[in-house]
Amino acid sequence: MVPENLISLAFERLPELWLRTGEHLMLTGVSTGVAILLGVPLGILASRVTRLRGPLLGATGILQTIPSLAMLAILLTLTGKIGVVPAIIALILYSLLPIVRNTLTGILGVSPASLEAARGIGMTNYQQLWVIKLPLALPVIVAGIRTAAVTGVGIATLSAFIGAGGLGQFINRGLALSNNNLVLLGAIPAALLALIVDFSIAAVVWSLEPRKHRNLPPRVRAGVRTLAFLLPFVIGLGGAIAYMSGGTTGSVAGYNSKNRDKGLRDRVVIASKNFGEQFILGELMAQLIEEKTDLAVVRRFDLGGTMICHGALVNGEIDIYAEYTGTGLTAILKDPVLSDPEEVFRVVAREYRKRFRIEWLKPFGFNNTYAITVRKTDAEENGWENISDLTIVAPNLRAGFTSEFAERPDGYPGLLKVYECKFGSVRDLDPTLMYEALVKEEVDVICAFATDGRIAAYQLMSLTDDRRFFPPYHAAPVVRKEILNAHPEIRDVLAPLSSVLTDVSMRRLNYEVDCKKRSPYKVAREFLKFQALLH
Amino acid sequence: MIRLTKISKSFDNNLSYAIKDLSLDVSDGETLVFLGSSGCGKTTTLKMINRLIEPTSGTIEVDGKDIADQDPVLLRRRIGYVFQEIGLFPHMTIEQNIAVAPKLLGWDKNRRRRRARELLELMDLDPKVFANRYPDELSGGQQQRVGVARALAVDPDYLLMDEPFGALDALTRDTLQQGLLSLKDRLKKTIIFVTHDIFEAITIGDRIAILHDGNLEQVGTKEEVYNRPASPFVSDLFSKPAKQLALFREMT
Repeated sequence: MVPENLISLAFERLPELWLRTGEHLMLTGVSTGVAILLGVPLGILASRVTRLRGPLLGATGILQTIPSLAMLAILLTLTGKIGVVPAIIALILYSLLPIVRNTLTGILGVSPASLEAARGIGMTNYQQLWVIKLPLALPVIVAGIRTAAVTGVGIATLSAFIGAGGLGQFINRGLALSNNNLVLLGAIPAALLALIVDFSIAAVVWSLEPRKHRNLPPRVRAGVRTLAFLLPFVIGLGGAIAYMSGGTTGSVAGYNSKNRDKGLRDRVVIASKNFGEQFILGELMAQLIEEKTDLAVVRRFDLGGTMICHGALVNGEIDIYAEYTGTGLTAILKDPVLSDPEEVFRVVAREYRKRFRIEWLKPFGFNNTYAITVRKTDAEENGWENISDLTIVAPNLRAGFTSEFAERPDGYPGLLKVYECKFGSVRDLDPTLMYEALVKEEVDVICAFATDGRIAAYQLMSLTDDRRFFPPYHAAPVVRKEILNAHPEIRDVLAPLSSVLTDVSMRRLNYEVDCKKRSPYKVAREFLKFQALLH
Repeated sequence: MIRLTKISKSFDNNLSYAIKDLSLDVSDGETLVFLGSSGCGKTTTLKMINRLIEPTSGTIEVDGKDIADQDPVLLRRRIGYVFQEIGLFPHMTIEQNIAVAPKLLGWDKNRRRRRARELLELMDLDPKVFANRYPDELSGGQQQRVGVARALAVDPDYLLMDEPFGALDALTRDTLQQGLLSLKDRLKKTIIFVTHDIFEAITIGDRIAILHDGNLEQVGTKEEVYNRPASPFVSDLFSKPAKQLALFREMT
């Protein structure tokens, strides 16, 4: 990581950084605000009704033990929505425990002598609460709010997983594209934001402790107190402004999620999963539609995975994304593996239309399946072309597979049966390390992804699946029927992609993004221009 | 006038009584002391007068009206109350503490402030020094003076004092007792004062009501209870100081 790169990246992405920070503050601010409105009354209630205490603290406690990603996934199913709503609900649920607990603790901590005095003086229950209990409990309550807000800033980074934006979007993108600077562009501001939020709430605490500033001159004192008290609101307002202005500043090439200036034109929402190839496919489709139709394109890239994209498409929150036939068959339809590409396509097209009112358009023309891959030098030396060429030599070879491949029926177990190639040793490797391990001769065979850019870049060679063992993973646009009926031109506009995208060209595009860290927007644009699909 | 008629209080469904069939009148301007050891029912009785505790049976009248028919909150605002634990509100300044009850009654800010300063002076606390301090910056004795000032804030006719000097050291206690004596001459309040300290009872009380195990043993002036004890308990109680004095002389 080179800091100068990070700084220039930050400048280049300044408008988006501003927007994401605004989104992040909005997520944290709204959820903390709602959690206060819910949690403080619940805490007060628990202080009055003893038998509610156990269940209430238990319930909020359990909520907090749910892992963040699981919580988001659950809410996604419950609300049937992606984006801001489930993210905010998740953040509220996490914030409840510290706020409820601290309100209760704070109120129970008020000395019995003060309470008896309050009653004896003639305060109503309501007055005892507002004049005595809440003011005395306030430092503890605010400490709970502080905990909630600061952890909220942290958890909000995960909201990008379900398309709610925020600084986590940089982190997710960076992880997807293995671009450390992009990760830091999200992580550093998020950490700073946590510190700022913490400081601003500490300022509120200070402003509420009259004894801490009674030595200040009276005029200065009133001003400083007010300022300190309002600090979180000022920061929140800043976030709101950044968030609202997102429509114009957010139109950074290829990364805007809100195109509010597109006015009256019909919109089509194009989505992608969270890895490089998906970003490129999303951009290719988006740019063609932008260029060749009157439709306004909204990009909702980087959604957390197959289930999220599919769910959003079924709910009509997105209109188009690129799916793989094998994935549709096994992950969505839960059908057994088929090996004939045409048959797989026919099944998914028929079933999607019937069950989800979703159309599979013409496949792009590349197959991102598993590819048994070796070093090119080895292949040339030994004359390997097909996987079956390995059967005899397998016991002398060391394999490096992803743990998933090592277990899946369409992975190594099937490979053993169909090709009878039992490798000398098999190591479990992370997908990103696999390629390097092969280059460095730590292993001799890997289960690459067929369109990975590193196959060409690292002088590797994929062997032909001559016994047609691996199921086909042909990528194709999946589109909501409703959109296609309203705008049949989408079909024609996307069709030319299948004549230009092949395993080889997809590998090259992936290489540009994954290895050379170039923006998917630019890579897609160059490619479309080169293919004369754009001018 | 405060009139207690056959007051009983049980905390365990009539298995035992904290106070049993107590009848007593407290006349206007009088200082009555409830004297007894801990658990005798004196604090319970006091708290029933401003309805911090409800009696199991019997009636209490304040100014001829049954307090059971009155809003407890409004009743309490007419009766000043001083606690052993003092119970000043730690988040408020001394001035704010004194002004709590006036504020509940809707007095304006200037009137509240004037009243608080007036009472601080009455309690021998310089308003310039103490008004803006917080309770934990005061000594125990100073805090309890503020406690008394707070009870007097809306100039109530009645003042209930629950062992107000019980937690203070002997010297401070003595000063505050003298202060209270001069105060009661000036203010002409009806005061009910609870203590377990026989000297305090003799110093402060116009009349003394001796309670033992929930029963009223005797009520009368200090001369009456000393010279004509109504029960062995009372005579025993009042002979103790003399015995202690003898013991003290023996030892020194």
